Amino acid sequence: MATQDTISASAINGSALSLRNRRIAKHIGIFLALIILWEIGSRIGWLDPLFYPRPSNILRSFWLIYVANANVWFHLYATMSLVLLGWILGSVLGIGLGALVGFNAVLRRFLKPYVIVLEATPRIAVAPLLIAALGFGVSSKLAIIMLVCFFAPFINTLSGVMNVDEDRLELFRSMRASKSQILRKLVLPDAIPVIMAGERLALTAALSGALVAEFIQRDKGIGSLILVYTRNLNMSSAFACIFTLTILGFLIFKGMEKLDHYIAYWKHEDGRERMSLKRRRKIGGHSDV
Amino acid sequence: MGEQVQSMTAVGDVVVSGLNVGKTFAAGTVVALEDANFDIKRGSFVSLVGPSGCGKSTLLRLISGLIEPTSGKISVHGTPVEGPRPDISMMFQKATLLDWRTSLENVLLPTEINGTPSKADKNRALDLLKLVGLEDFAFSFPAQLSGGMQQRVALARLLQTGADILLLDEPFGALDEFTREHLNTELMRIVSEVGATTIFVTHNISEAIFLADQVVVMTSRPGRMAKIIDVELERPRPLSIQTSVEFNKLVLDVRETLGEM
Repeated sequence: MATQDTISASAINGSALSLRNRRIAKHIGIFLALIILWEIGSRIGWLDPLFYPRPSNILRSFWLIYVANANVWFHLYATMSLVLLGWILGSVLGIGLGALVGFNAVLRRFLKPYVIVLEATPRIAVAPLLIAALGFGVSSKLAIIMLVCFFAPFINTLSGVMNVDEDRLELFRSMRASKSQILRKLVLPDAIPVIMAGERLALTAALSGALVAEFIQRDKGIGSLILVYTRNLNMSSAFACIFTLTILGFLIFKGMEKLDHYIAYWKHEDGRERMSLKRRRKIGGHSDV
Repeated sequence: MGEQVQSMTAVGDVVVSGLNVGKTFAAGTVVALEDANFDIKRGSFVSLVGPSGCGKSTLLRLISGLIEPTSGKISVHGTPVEGPRPDISMMFQKATLLDWRTSLENVLLPTEINGTPSKADKNRALDLLKLVGLEDFAFSFPAQLSGGMQQRVALARLLQTGADILLLDEPFGALDEFTREHLNTELMRIVSEVGATTIFVTHNISEAIFLADQVVVMTSRPGRMAKIIDVELERPRPLSIQTSVEFNKLVLDVRETLGEM
């Protein structure tokens, strides 16, 4: 019985794997066909090579900016260090204020109209004002990034904290839990998955915010690099920068997914299994005093 | 041995009593419970049965101290109820487990709220998980358990507090018939083992009689205790007892009180 189950399970796994492989192969095939079409179109004049550089030229630009000139690393570091710092600071502010407003009904009533106004205004529109106020440099860039990534964690923390399950709250009350215990042991852990979803949005927003700040300031960072290349009509290098951002965006998405499986482990099958094993190893069975 | 004798002589003491207890909601416009008088004896199993709106859940919450009566007085162990207290433990229709905690950590929650759990507390929690038949699932998360297993964890958590009065609000009401019957049998075994006084709310007449020493029949609009019926069926009770003549006489009595016959 057991062996039969294992056999059929592995058979299903096997067919799922080959199905997946075939899908991946199909995607790669279509992608290569598009690239070749682009290359040919650019060579025979369907596409203006000035604005749509050949894939082979873009590939060469990748080699140039990463290896031969290796100038992209400086800008990548400038952008990503600010993105991470701004994201962390903006998140801390968002989560902190979200929790504070969520718990305080008076504060909530008072702040509600301002939150609505802030939500309706595109945050990025304030960027030039921030630069005017704080001047060119790191501080205004950081302020812009914090501004664009503050909101999602703020709203998600606020709603996470406010949507506490009434039955669980009654359970805690029946156990004579203090307010701070209800907060630490029920409300905050319960809000973590929603907060994490906000963090994911915030990090993507942080990257966009950094690019806009760099477009305006044009001193350093991937955003200013794209601007410089485009002005010099070096489109293949500009494309290489854009594709670099594509890869970064993908890595950010995957990284946040991984982080979510660790922090909100109970929401994911693999997270539950991992933590279950860990707790079993740590605590074990009966123990003497 | 000495302890046992003492607890034997203590059987029959009143541990929960109510005098003219009433509760109204919405500024007196909704009468949830009217003029309830009752004495619940130590170690007894009391079922509160009735249709929705009869005030059975309200009465349970009044005893637990989660809500205050509008009129009258409730005493537990001779002192008036003025809010949730350590000698009372409560269980709800929903398992209300914390998803980010393992079964063991969920059972330890009441202990944690009273202080830092000791090794002895942890061993007690493991023993209770064994008592409810979940020793192999101590390190599983709620999402890895079935609905019935989740309620077993909630049952272990109920017992972890060490309270001698247990209040259960339709604890197995959301489960399927087979799981519920099984858990009811387990519940009877467990509460007689720990010797707790149990108050059990249900809208299922057979379940109410099957479990209880006394069935309190309640009627609605306004919520009122209509009749208290003594169940003198021998324990332990097999499931088949529900087809006996004595059992069905009791069912008839409850139904007549509810005005269904």
